[in-house]
Amino acid sequence: MPNTTAGRNRPLSPNIQIYRPQLTSVLSIANRITGVVLSICAVVLVVWLLAAATGPQAYAAVQGVITSWIGQIGLFGCTFAFFMHFCGGIRHLVWDAGYGFTLRSIYASGWAVVAASVALTVTAWVASLFVAG
Amino acid sequence: MIIESSDQMPRATLLKRFPVPRNFGVAPESRISRGKTWSAPAGAKCVKSFDIYRYDPDSGKNPRLDTFEVDLDDCGPMVLDALIWIKSKVDSTLTFRRSCREGVCGSCAMNIDGTNWLACTRFISDLDTPATIYPLTNMRIIKDLVPDLTHLFAQYAMIEPWLQSKTPEPEKERLQSPEERSKLDGKYECILCFCCTSGCPSHWWNGDRFLGPAALLQAGRWLADTRDEAIGERLDILEDPFRLYRCHTILNCTRTCPKGLNPGKAIADIKKMMIERRS
Repeated sequence: MPNTTAGRNRPLSPNIQIYRPQLTSVLSIANRITGVVLSICAVVLVVWLLAAATGPQAYAAVQGVITSWIGQIGLFGCTFAFFMHFCGGIRHLVWDAGYGFTLRSIYASGWAVVAASVALTVTAWVASLFVAG
Repeated sequence: MIIESSDQMPRATLLKRFPVPRNFGVAPESRISRGKTWSAPAGAKCVKSFDIYRYDPDSGKNPRLDTFEVDLDDCGPMVLDALIWIKSKVDSTLTFRRSCREGVCGSCAMNIDGTNWLACTRFISDLDTPATIYPLTNMRIIKDLVPDLTHLFAQYAMIEPWLQSKTPEPEKERLQSPEERSKLDGKYECILCFCCTSGCPSHWWNGDRFLGPAALLQAGRWLADTRDEAIGERLDILEDPFRLYRCHTILNCTRTCPKGLNPGKAIADIKKMMIERRS
């Protein structure tokens, strides 16, 4: 009975409670979290499209939520999640092909994903401001 | 910022632990309470505090975190030296595994300042203040810093770490060219300390069925060995949604290996072999 001692269960040493966050684990969980956020975004997108298809009142209602300050913050977060998941996905594809496994490459590509996500999000929002006027 | 080898410490740390509650998801018998503080001897000038996980199976109490103040002038440079100093001068009940004291046996693997490493190759001067020493992550604890490695060794045995060949034994050695032998480099040096496996979040959540980086690195070692003739059977063992494929390329393993090995790359190569044999 490897898990028991004198009838009690042996304690489990702490895992996520004490393990140091490193670029490796942080970017990995960020990829998963951004993926979940994007799944929710897909639902919101469908709601928005349905509102547009339904009619002017429904569309105005949904637009009211999106253009509010809290909606804009949410939209900003979603675009950041989109670009982070996209760049992270490319990093995963490169790994699946077998490249980029030295620690140096792992860290360089990791920081590149963070930088690219921020840069692309800012670019997208600045461009949208230009388009919108 | 860019880590080039696993023994490099980060220059700055944003977070020392994930922003979860201290006892997040912890079963009642594993909750850690505050323990005793053992002060440095009088007259000690160079003193460092160590917070060390303690568990006494005979006491019936929960694990606790004791604080030891170590006189660094009286103690060797490595974390293992500090543990031995504590055991010999302060509290002789402190229990930990150790053997070679030079980083080749894998006995003293533990979680030091949040990352898994060998106590005998981690310099005290590289540690935080106070330094925190926990046992290997996510393991059942027998006593203090001694984890139960039974299921990890069972997972290692599952990948059949021995030479399998159908051709009859040659009269002398099974010959290998230097190029063939070089395929084992970066894999055979594993000392089975299990720092990687116990640092893998996927193994934390699915450790009962996911084999973990240590066992899979050795699976890769036997798959790469040109003298072995059981590649098909070895890959058959891994045809399972959990044994190999719970690896999501988190790469904590490569980051934490105290021998500088790359289990993440070996696992990616195994995944490629699994696909290539289908085509």
